[in-house]
Amino acid sequence: MTGQPPQGNRGYKRSWKNLLINKRYQLRFTLFMVGLSTLLMAGLGFWVMRVANDATEVAKADILGTQCDPPSAFEGQETDLDEEPDLDEAPAVPMKLEGEKAPVPPPPGDADGSAGDEGDVDEDGSDAGSGKPRRKIDVILDDMEVPAPAPIEIKVPKVRDGLKAEIIDHHICRMGIPASLDKLETRRLQILLVLIASGLVLVFGLAVYGIKMTHKVAGPLFKVGLYLAKMRDGRFDKVYNLRKGDQLVDFYEHFKVAHAGVVKMQKDDIDRAKAVIAAAEAAGAGEHAAVAELRTLVARKEKSLD
Amino acid sequence: MTDPAPIPPAVGNAATGPRARYKRKLSNYLLDKRLQLRYVLVVTILSGLIAGALGYLIYKQSADASASIENSMKSDIFANMQDFTDKINSNLQSGDQMLVYKMIGAGIGLVIILSLYLVIMTHKVAGPLFKVSMYFDRMADGRLTVVTPLRKGDMLQDFYQSFQETHDAIRARAKADVETMDKALVALRDQQNQADYRGEQRQKLVDALDGLEQHLTDRKKKLADR
Repeated sequence: MTGQPPQGNRGYKRSWKNLLINKRYQLRFTLFMVGLSTLLMAGLGFWVMRVANDATEVAKADILGTQCDPPSAFEGQETDLDEEPDLDEAPAVPMKLEGEKAPVPPPPGDADGSAGDEGDVDEDGSDAGSGKPRRKIDVILDDMEVPAPAPIEIKVPKVRDGLKAEIIDHHICRMGIPASLDKLETRRLQILLVLIASGLVLVFGLAVYGIKMTHKVAGPLFKVGLYLAKMRDGRFDKVYNLRKGDQLVDFYEHFKVAHAGVVKMQKDDIDRAKAVIAAAEAAGAGEHAAVAELRTLVARKEKSLD
Repeated sequence: MTDPAPIPPAVGNAATGPRARYKRKLSNYLLDKRLQLRYVLVVTILSGLIAGALGYLIYKQSADASASIENSMKSDIFANMQDFTDKINSNLQSGDQMLVYKMIGAGIGLVIILSLYLVIMTHKVAGPLFKVSMYFDRMADGRLTVVTPLRKGDMLQDFYQSFQETHDAIRARAKADVETMDKALVALRDQQNQADYRGEQRQKLVDALDGLEQHLTDRKKKLADR
């Protein structure tokens, strides 16, 4: 023990090193608290998870049972918006692809096709190659009247108001089902993680708090134990006050009173013995062996009070 | 700590030292109210908080599940089954209510059992402290009697043993001192009678020896076994 004794109080500070002064007492109480809390957390946590699982299953079933009714696209007509269009059944559209040559009809003429022979033709129509006169074809242009096509009547069904919103709602509803299921699973996992995390925090927090709390009881007991050891050896030092925040203050007061009582016993003995020694010396019996013994006794007792 | 009551007179054989042991009574389980109730309150409040928070979670989950079922029963499928849905809803509500009652009952039971157990447990610490406090009060009065052992199951056995050893050492030393002074008293009385002391000095020695004799008589009484 070090430090100056200001007004009967020595300012020892608490340090982490000596928090466990009385291991048996402190650990017993702390472990009881920690064990009890762990049991409570585990038991109720298991219950929470069981109910959470049930609630999740119910919610899942509820979500899976959700009916995302498709809106009727047109008045008086139900449309299955989820049905994929079958492209194979669609009518073939005639179209001319690039690079593809349309078949050329044979030119009118002889059956043998002689009229279509290739070769240079003179301006006068003679075949320069063969020297034969070429046949002439007179084309008579005549004005023809092509009848105008009949107007095509396109029937567009009447679309209901709010159909767009209904279609969006439908798809949101459809896509929302797996999202909701995922959300439920995440929530269940979150509950489990929160339970585990809070359980761990609680256990460690309680362990630290329990040790600190019991230290405030074990500290005064330790201090009294030190004084008791001194008293056992016949030393009655000054008793200092407890630290701020310590418990067992009343118990410590009892100890201080007891210590003072023992000190008073020593002082009473010293006073009585000194009186006898003084009287014996005055009467001329100062050299008596009994007086010498009393002197030794007084010296020992006075030393014990230093 | 409560003020210690004086130790009742010993019941057992005084010569053998330890008197009859006191048995635990329900009436004096709270020996050190501050120490015991503090610990009991901390543990009870903590347990109550844990149970309350987790109980609320349980109730919320259960109520959510019930609400989900109730909502799903509002659909057109159950439109023509009003009695059936009413019955189901009623069952769900009563189930949730029963869950709350069960949890409140379990919580109250937990607090009561825990408090009783903790009072008993802390009593095993407060008991030895109470006993040592009573011995301290006796020591303050100069009475150093025989220290009886703790009851079975008490805690702080090491501390109590340390106290007992100290108490016995002080007592033994006090007895030895009394014996030394007693011998000196007898020797000086003889010397007083044999020598021819007269006058004031003789009277002073007689007074001092009378005072020492009275002091030793008192001390012997206080050092008696009981």
